[in-house]
Amino acid sequence: MAKTEEKTVPPVTLVDPIELSELDRDFREEIHNMPNGEELGACFACSTCTAACPIANSWDYKPHQLIRMILLGMREKVLASDEIWLCLTCFECQERCPQNVRVTDILFDCKNLAAEEGRIPPNVAELGKELVEQGQLYVITADWEREDLGLEPSLPGLQTEGVQNMLKESRTGRLLEEED
Amino acid sequence: MPEYNLYAGCSVPANYPNYEASMLRVADSFDMELKYMEGVACCGSPNLRAIDYEGWLKVNARTLAIADKNGNDIVTPCNGCFGSLKDVYYHLKHNEDYVEMVNAELASEGLEFTGDAKPRHFVEALYTDIGIDRIKDSITNPLDGVGIAIHYGCHLLRPKDVTEFRPEILKDLVAVTGAEVVEYPLWKQCCGATVLPVDEPLAIRLARDKLKSMKEAGAQFATVVCPACGNQLDLQQLDLKNTYGEEYNIPILHYPQILGLAMGLSEDEIGLYLNRVPAEPILEHVSK
Repeated sequence: MAKTEEKTVPPVTLVDPIELSELDRDFREEIHNMPNGEELGACFACSTCTAACPIANSWDYKPHQLIRMILLGMREKVLASDEIWLCLTCFECQERCPQNVRVTDILFDCKNLAAEEGRIPPNVAELGKELVEQGQLYVITADWEREDLGLEPSLPGLQTEGVQNMLKESRTGRLLEEED
Repeated sequence: MPEYNLYAGCSVPANYPNYEASMLRVADSFDMELKYMEGVACCGSPNLRAIDYEGWLKVNARTLAIADKNGNDIVTPCNGCFGSLKDVYYHLKHNEDYVEMVNAELASEGLEFTGDAKPRHFVEALYTDIGIDRIKDSITNPLDGVGIAIHYGCHLLRPKDVTEFRPEILKDLVAVTGAEVVEYPLWKQCCGATVLPVDEPLAIRLARDKLKSMKEAGAQFATVVCPACGNQLDLQQLDLKNTYGEEYNIPILHYPQILGLAMGLSEDEIGLYLNRVPAEPILEHVSK
């Protein structure tokens, strides 16, 4: 019988081992209680969501891993990840989940939690700012194009104050004020 | 004469008046009365939902409540607005606490969300309320079997329990013009528009995937029902030339432009000259 080679190095792992002391046991409950988190615990990590995602191949953490990370309480890693902001919100993952886990919706919840801590990509924050300041994302600049087509030069019925006031009092307004 | 609350959003009026004008002209010929909603602004798109769920809920609940006043359904030409309004409608219908919260806020403006007025996409209202038979009768200049790929857009199709949109609707609406609907493998896939603010190269890659899949399946034109998808597939063809050295030359038409042509509207009436990838070649396929 051949002699088994003596192991001198630690086994190769695909991911870094989880540091138990860094886990936040309440994170799972936090997401579970958010608007779309109810089915979170039903995930059995089949990775159908990842197979459905058109961009998961370029992600460090795949969708099914993010859900697993939430269940394990890896709050810091999830909320600091680029992946939650790269999500296309195309709902392919959510649509195909055999357990009805609302994956895209849960990533929206994660973005909200990250935003609450002030972690918003600059361009997304800029869009929020535009909403607060002008009540809309796009403002008509080429009114002659509209007139050429027989449309009113400005949008009939448009009134931005209502939206602006609502957003000023919301997280969007508060966060952007803090930023200035 | 069905009457609707027209929610135009911000992108269509600012960036795609040709979509707006062709939609109004088509609707008018079927006596669909699209009345611009008074006192509304932007839906916030998925970007607002990402940073501020409550703010997004309130802003869209306000739009729904304004429509509730006259009870007429909301009709929108934008998938972003459709997705936001439908999603908020769904959440409010499934959670009484949210209804209480938004109504407490809306009371100061004398508004209340009741859920009487439903948010709908323009093409769905056209299909359901006018019907394919009446639309068929209105075709005077059919599009001569020209191959058109349909880009539905994510927020029109998914999540299915929220949007309640059946892909056959748009398929039938394109086929009734005499055009041939070109099936292509990536028909369900995202155009990449939503990731544009976070990762532009990725967004461009996704537009490329989409256009490539259409082209390889033999599509000569593509149709969209969303200004963001339209912008992404039309305008990014210029970037694709720069970044990948590839030319696709697939004109991207908003659906009412295609229907309008088949109904005998002129190229100026549907604003064909505003399409970035020159869309005039489609005129060669209109039989008179």
